[in-house]
Order: sequence, then C-alpha cells, then structure tokens
Amino acid sequence: MGKTGQSLERTAAGPRTILVLLLAPVAFLLLFFYFPLGSVLVGGLTDRGGRFSLGILASLLVDPYYLRIIGFTVGQAALSTLLSLLMGLPGAYLLARYDFRGKRLIQALTTVPFVLPSIIVVLGFVRFFGNNGILNRFLMSLFGLTEPPLRILYSLQAILLAHAFYNFPVVVRIVSSLWRRIHPSTEEAARSLGAHGLRLFWRITLPQILPALLSAAALVFIFCLLSFAIVLVLGGGPRYTTLEVEVYRLAKVSLDLKTGSALALVGAIISLVFLYAYIKAQQRSSFAERMADDAEKPRLGGMLGSVRGLFYLLYLLFMALVILAPMITVVAYSFQLRSGWAQQTISLEWYRRILSGGPYLRAVANSLFFACMTMLLSLPLGTVLAYVGARSRFAGSRLLEAVMMLPIGISSIILGLGYLKAYRQLPWTIVGSWYAIVFAHTVIAYPFVIRVASATFRKIKSSLAEAACSLGAGPWRLFLHLELPLARSALITGAAFAFGISVGEINASLMLYNERLITIPVMIYRLIGSYNFIGACAMGSVLMLFCFLAFLIIDRAGGEFG
Amino acid sequence: MGLQIRGIEKIYPDFRLELDFRVRQGELLILLGPSGCGKTTTLRLIAGFIGPDSGTLAMDGSRIDNLPAHRRRIGIVFQDYALFPHLNVWDNIGFGLRMQHWSPGESRQRIEELLHLVSLQGYAKRKVTRLSGGEQQRIALARALAPQPRLLLLDEPLSALDAKLRKGLRIEIRRIQRELGITTLYVTHDQEEALVLGDRIAVMREGHIEQIDTPERIYNRPANLFVGTFLGQANLLSGRLVRRFSSPDGEMAAVQTAVGTLQARWPADPDSPTQTQHFPVELQIGREVIAFFRPEHCSLDRRPSGNTRSPNRISGRVRRKEYLGSHQLIEVEAEGEHLILDLSQQQSLPDSGLLRFSVDPVQICLFPAAKS
Repeated sequence: MGKTGQSLERTAAGPRTILVLLLAPVAFLLLFFYFPLGSVLVGGLTDRGGRFSLGILASLLVDPYYLRIIGFTVGQAALSTLLSLLMGLPGAYLLARYDFRGKRLIQALTTVPFVLPSIIVVLGFVRFFGNNGILNRFLMSLFGLTEPPLRILYSLQAILLAHAFYNFPVVVRIVSSLWRRIHPSTEEAARSLGAHGLRLFWRITLPQILPALLSAAALVFIFCLLSFAIVLVLGGGPRYTTLEVEVYRLAKVSLDLKTGSALALVGAIISLVFLYAYIKAQQRSSFAERMADDAEKPRLGGMLGSVRGLFYLLYLLFMALVILAPMITVVAYSFQLRSGWAQQTISLEWYRRILSGGPYLRAVANSLFFACMTMLLSLPLGTVLAYVGARSRFAGSRLLEAVMMLPIGISSIILGLGYLKAYRQLPWTIVGSWYAIVFAHTVIAYPFVIRVASATFRKIKSSLAEAACSLGAGPWRLFLHLELPLARSALITGAAFAFGISVGEINASLMLYNERLITIPVMIYRLIGSYNFIGACAMGSVLMLFCFLAFLIIDRAGGEFG
Repeated sequence: MGLQIRGIEKIYPDFRLELDFRVRQGELLILLGPSGCGKTTTLRLIAGFIGPDSGTLAMDGSRIDNLPAHRRRIGIVFQDYALFPHLNVWDNIGFGLRMQHWSPGESRQRIEELLHLVSLQGYAKRKVTRLSGGEQQRIALARALAPQPRLLLLDEPLSALDAKLRKGLRIEIRRIQRELGITTLYVTHDQEEALVLGDRIAVMREGHIEQIDTPERIYNRPANLFVGTFLGQANLLSGRLVRRFSSPDGEMAAVQTAVGTLQARWPADPDSPTQTQHFPVELQIGREVIAFFRPEHCSLDRRPSGNTRSPNRISGRVRRKEYLGSHQLIEVEAEGEHLILDLSQQQSLPDSGLLRFSVDPVQICLFPAAKS
C-alpha cells in the first residue's frame, strides 16, 4: 500500500514553503554558478563575431595538439585510477575484515585526501622525490654519487604516483565501508561449498563490493581528470598537459578565452559523463547500507607470526607512510635555514617572516577570511538544499538533486574561467573582489555540505517528525527543535569540510587572485615557481595546521561522505 | 461526544479505506485486524499525517479535519517509540509542553506528575537511548499525554516488547487510561490484547470495519465468518437449513450437516443490528449455511447412545490431544469433518476411540455459505 511512502504528506513543508526556501539558494547558484558556466558554454559555441558556430569546437577536435591533450587527460586519469584501486584494495580488505591496534588511526587517515590540499602533495612530492629531495640525497650519500640517481619529477610517472598516493585512501575508505557491511557468512557458505582463493573472491566477494568499487573508481577518475596543481607542477611542461592546465594557460597566459571556453566545454562533457557514472554507482551501493557490521573479526595481532600477517603489517605501515610522508616532509623542511644539504640548521626564520607581516601574512589572513566566509555561505546553502531534497518528493526532485551536485563534476578552472568571462558584460564586475573568490569557493564546497547533510536528514525516522508534529510542532519548529539538533554533527562536519576546501583551494583562486587577494596555496605555488622551497614548506605547514583543525572536527563529528 | 469519523475515504491505487465510526468519550476502542487492513492508515488519518479524499473528522463536536496535525491536540504513541534521541527523559516529556507554550513552572509540575504516573520517578535526567524497551514505551506514553491531548492514539505500542513485559504494560496502559478517562484508539493485531484491553473492539478487514462491539459480543456473537475466525478458534460445519421452530429458548432453526442435524437459536442475537444486516431474519428454508461454534462450547456427553432426545449430539473418533496445562484441546474426526474440543483438564479421556459430545444450541451461530 506504500503507506510509509506517504508518511510526511502533511507534516512536511508544503509546496509554497519549499519554493520560498529554495529561492535564495537557487538565485545564488544561477548567478554564481550557472551564469558563468553558461558564459563558458556560449563562448565555446560561438565564433569571434558572436554567432552560433561549432567551428572553434570542431577545429579543436581535429587539431593533433589538442587531441593529444584530450587523450593524455583521459589516459593519465585512467592509469591513476587503476593504480589507486590496486593500492587501495588490500587496505579496504584489511579494514573490513580485521581488527588491529591503530585501526582507528588508519581509518582516520583515509579522510586525509578529502582535506589535504593538492598543493601540499605537490610540495611534499617535490621535496621527497625531487632531484634535491630526501630520497635522492639519501641515495647519493649512501652510494657516494655526485648526480641524483632518480629523476622522477616532471614526468608521467610523477603525475601517476602523486595521483595514486593522493587518491588511494579514497578507495580504501569507500570500498571498506561497503565491504564491512557484507556479512562473512556468504563467503563462509561459498567456502563450505568448495570455493576458495581467487575463485572465491571473483565469484562471491567481488560482485558484492562491485558497487563501491565502481563508485570509488568513478570518483577517483573525476578527481584525476580535474587535477590541476599536481599536473601543473609535477608534469612540468607542455608534454604532460591536461585539459585543465591548458585551459588555465589559455586563459591566464595567452589570454585566449575563446579557445579556452571551447576546450573547457570538452573537459566538462568528459567529466560530466563520469559524474553521472559516479551518481549511478552511488545509488547502487547505498542499497547495501542496511546490512549490519556486527560480525566478529579476527585480530591481526594474532597473525603476525605468519607470512601473511607480516605482509598485512607491512602494507599498513606503507599505507600510513605514504599518506603521512608528504606532510612530514613539508613540516620538517620548513624549519631549515638554507636549502643546501651540507650544513642544516634548524630555524624558525620563515615563521618569523610570515608573522612579521607583508604578503605572507596577508595570504594567511586572506585564506582564513575566505574560508570563514565560504563556510558561512555554503552551510545554509547546502543545508536548505539537502533538507528540501530529503523531505519533499515531487516530480523531478531526482533531477534537481543531480543539478545541485553538478559543481562536483565541473572543474574549478572552468568555474574561474566563467567568472573571468561572464561578468565583463555586466555593469558591475565582481572579478578582482574578495567575494568573487568566496562565491567560487562556496560553489565548490556546498555539494559536500549537501552530501553530509542529506544523508543525515534521510536517516531521521519519519515517526520522530510525526511525534513532534502531534505534540504541536509546526513545520518551522519541527525543523528548529528536532531535525536541526539531530543533524548537528553532520552540519559541523559539513562546515569543517567547507572550511578545509576553501582554505586549500588553488584552481579558482589562481584564476581570480591579484596581489591583494593572494591566498596561502597560491603563495605556495609562486614560491615553488621561484624555487623557494623552504618558504613554500613554511606556508604549507601553516596551511596544514588549518586543514588539520578541519580534519579533527570532521573526524570527531563523524557524518557520511565520500 | 468523543471522536466522530464520518464518511472518511482514502483511495490508493491498490487499496481503498472507508470509515464511519465513533470513539465514545472516555472509552478505549481497539482497532483490530490483520496486517495490511488499514489500521495504521486510519490512525494516521485521524492524527493528520495524511489527508482523506473525502469525509469529516470531529472531536467533541467540532471539526478537526481542516486542522494541520500540530494543531489537533492528539497524543500518539508509536510502535518504535520515536523518542527524540537528542533529548533526555525530562525534555522528551516536556517537548509538547514547550511547543504549546506552557509556563516553566506548570511544565515542571506536569512532567513530574507524568513521571509519577508511569512510575519512572528518578529517570528525569537519563538519556532515552539507554533505557530498556519497556521504559522507553512508558516515556513515549508520558510524552504523548503531557500536553493533555483530547484523544490518545496508540499504534501497536507493545509489539516490540517480549511477551511477559507486554502483559505487564497492557495492564498499566489500561490503568492509566481509566485514571485519566482519556478517549483512546488503540491499534493492534494481537487478539488477546484486544480482548483484555478494549471497552469495544472494531474488527477491520481490507479497508473497512466489519464489526464494532464489546469484546464479549465480538467473541461470542461475531457478525460474520471473518470476525468469528479471526478471533479465537472456531469449528465450522457446512449444511442446509431444513426447519424452523419455537422452543423454550426462543426461535430455533435446524441445520442438516454431515454430522447430523444441529439445532441453533435463530436469530442468534436479536439485539445485534449487525447480525441481521448480514443475514436476513426471514429464514429461507433450503439455504446453504455454515454453522459456527467455539471449541469451549462443546461438552462431553456420557449418556447412553440410544437417548436421541438431547439435540446436537456428535460422535467421532479422537485423532489428536494437545495438553495445555489448565485445559486440553481434542481433535475429533466425525463423518470426515475435523472438529476441535476445548475441555477442562479434569475430564479424563481415552487416548483414542470413540467420543460423544454435544454443542449448546444457544452458542451456535449461522452464517450464509460463501456464494459459489
């Protein structure tokens, strides 16, 4: 009879209330997301005279230079995804099937990629694998070499490694969260019927974790497709250029917004296809969420004598090291005085410089200000949209949800390009103002608030709302006194996410900043560009401090994401 | 006064709910029926969580169907308790008072009163998630009653509890309901609960009420076969009406069945309007009917077999015995019909062999056979 489906027919807000609620968020998104996006679309689909034309787009798609870029973009993303899956699967298995000391820590570490800015990964990578990095120096002093033996930087390998190291915790996180909910009894039953080893995995386990695997793969693929700072710095040249980097170059260096728009269009189409795949996979994996994680797990501690146990232990150590290494490298390096390796002096010189004012302190102040404003904007925006999405059922509400999540699939480079293009025709331009950066950050951050908040709103049992309603709570007080308090920790998580995303954001900031509006990540990028690594690491350490605060809050408050 | 439900209709693609009944002032009315019959939907319609397609609801003479749920002043106890997990016991009970703008002093007094009523003094500061199922249920009841609702709705409130706790709590719910004299509608699919608790019982099937009456009459004088077989055990014998006559017990009818001719009082219950409604009083000789009687209305007959003057004697072979402590169930096969007898433990019986028993004519009900 579908009686539960009818549950909130009368208690939920009526259509008029929904419209009023949606008014502000929709207006904001129209003005600061869809309008700039549309402007990029129009730019890509018109000729220099402003008439509709597929000419520019078509000329891109036959130009071998751009075709190579498109091919390289998709290819590196695919390889990076594959590598991330291979690295992440054992971790997902261990977290799902075993208990061990430090599991809590490892689990917390899988949150890191969601809050660690990519510029830190870049910096850590340069310092660790670079020609003058820790690894090479160690090998040189070990073997008495005069030349660095490993030349990883500025190559495809560097991009792939950085992407895999950055993203494999995402795989661990998403896959293990489904895997642990699959009761081992299905595997035990299969084993009793004679299946074992790879066959058991292939026939029984894989089909069950497949939705999570697909959704993790699609998400990592999107991340790598849209990856910007890593490719920009670690690719190190035109040979390893992706769509994102090329759009950035066209917009900021060649000042060719027309070609940039057309290329951005191509990139957007590719990433949207994969965003769609991700959303589909997500819907499938949420199916399995009702199963419980109540099975007793074997303890890893008891297996350490065996080869297998030792292998597991090594993997976990490796995993922790890979996640933590870039961060540790950055922090450690920031305390040096000179970048020579012969005599190293511990010094707080760079921190003194940052605190003494000037552009460095301004970058810190700007970043904090932008992050706080982004948090203040994206929290109500995301909460309202999540609430409407979770509480109302109307024709097209699914579509609305997809439309609201669109910014995840649109790169912030394209967004920045849109901001540069769109507001030029208007009487007031927002480019060059602090709120342009805040609005761009808000558009990037609010889908994460939606994700966390809507998962929680949906989990609130309808009988709770009905109970409150029968006790005299109208729609508004129902929200204020019941749903908001119940979603509190999710909203804290969402706010921390918004803060962390904004403070570490580099793509849109790089498109929109000027000297006055410089942020920490942009400053780090410029310091790397001038080979001032100690300064970059000091700024990086400050940035990580802020991200760490966000991380702590997210970790404490919980909430579902990823 | 009380709650008046007039011509309420709610239409779903595969289901149709039609309601027309009254909950009298201060009574506890049970809504009983199999799952999927529309009990809970009825409750939700009254609470205002869903709207009817037509019809009206009136509370103490004034209409409430045009009020939103939060203005109806109806207390509800949910099957899953639905306690607010972010509030403690005190704030859960006080939630409605806060929503309805009680003063802090009055609220405090009222919450203490209710904690006392449900015997949970000293629980005020506890977290609700740490309470046992029974305790949670009492808090849910206290919370529903706190703002002095005009009507109390209970949706299978005991179904999540174990059997022993259930029995204790239903006595308590009954006591509290009597003490407050609050008009109450109680949904359950547990017939024992219905018989013990209800002032009256409404038996529902497929979206409408089949019969609404006191527990005794629902059990002993069911309006139709559905009600008769839904509550308790029953023996059914199909047959044909052959004769009508008068006796000291009143108007009687004779029915020809496989096990012989049975006499039954007809109409079985002249006071019941529902019964005549389903089966016209005019006796149609030759009509196919079903004779219905309860296992406990059978008694052993030890008189010699030749005595044909006593009516409704049936003899059959004992097939099975079920020992139930205070009583025993005997399955007897007579002329291919399987009948159940409910006898007291004192009556000793052979393990097998022939058994003679008789059925009290006053206790037999006649229903029209299903049209085929």
